[in-house]
Amino acid sequence: MLMPKKTKYRKQHRGRTRGNSKGQTSVSFGDYGIQALEPGWITARQIEAARIAMTRHIKRGGKVWINVFPDKPVTEKPAETRMGSGKGNPERWVAVVKPGRVMFELSYGEMDVAREAIDRAIQKLPIKCRFIEREEGF
Amino acid sequence: MAELVLKAETGREIGTRESRRLRREGKVPAVVYGLSDDPLSVSVEWPLLRKAITTEAGLNALITLEIDGDRQLSIVKDLQRHPVRRDVIHVDFIRIDANVELEVEVPIQLVGESRELIAKSGMVDHMMHSLTVLSRPASIPTEFEVDISDLNVGDSIRVIDVVLPDGVRTEVDPEEAIASGVVTRSTLEEMRREEEAAEEAEAAEFVSGDDGDGDGEGEPEAGDGDD
Repeated sequence: MLMPKKTKYRKQHRGRTRGNSKGQTSVSFGDYGIQALEPGWITARQIEAARIAMTRHIKRGGKVWINVFPDKPVTEKPAETRMGSGKGNPERWVAVVKPGRVMFELSYGEMDVAREAIDRAIQKLPIKCRFIEREEGF
Repeated sequence: MAELVLKAETGREIGTRESRRLRREGKVPAVVYGLSDDPLSVSVEWPLLRKAITTEAGLNALITLEIDGDRQLSIVKDLQRHPVRRDVIHVDFIRIDANVELEVEVPIQLVGESRELIAKSGMVDHMMHSLTVLSRPASIPTEFEVDISDLNVGDSIRVIDVVLPDGVRTEVDPEEAIASGVVTRSTLEEMRREEEAAEEAEAAEFVSGDDGDGDGEGEPEAGDGDD
């Protein structure tokens, strides 16, 4: 699963997600993509599940790009613990995603198969997403 | 290449609120600059702009802007879209001289089907989707077609392989790859998985073939273990 090799600090604040994505809002590498339509946190497991869903469907002759990286640690307190005694332990890594962000890209010859692969990957993600195609020009 | 006339209104107020108000009225805020003249904030009607940028020439269409009775040849330099709605929120027009070369991005289309590549479970990795060329406005190509029928695994089509029409040149490194034939890591993984599955199935068949008579004996033994 994706996670940073080394971090400066072990724990982070949750933060707030405002506005739309400022970059990576169109398909840059492949032919098709998965675009986020709402903000959210995508865990490393979800990214991996989406990647596997896509690659299993296209089988051969396709290429997948993952444009998000889970670099934010999320902490959790153990079950049945009293409040206090500091922040919990880092449990998982997430990628912060804003609306408009193209999270995955796919290059594949047949559009129908690519669309189905992307639909399957979208099922693995916790936010509303859509299938988009490469736009010529800007 | 098509030449289109687009009427642009001057005197728009700048700023987020005013620009949003314009967009609500079906107009698109724009700016015109270039040819050592002062930049000018204008607005254009969205239906007319859409018509201008969806011709065969695409975004490289030569647009004659009609600004307060003055006609100015221009080209779309930049187009900003809303990240989610994808509608055009701002346009940059650059004034051009019909006799001076300008730098434009021309899309590259791959044509043909590489049978050898498909037979080897490979794919075409399209790395360069547009080529930056220098050309006079009248001779800007609509697109470049690159034939990939002879592409094989490990082969590449480079910038040097693109046939440029007369009057069009490029300063891009001629050795830069446009597309190449590759077998991706996921394909190799899939092939390995299939091989392993086939080997397992073969091994299972061999074992079951060996214990053909002993099947009946195996079951009571398992039953004993459960008890």
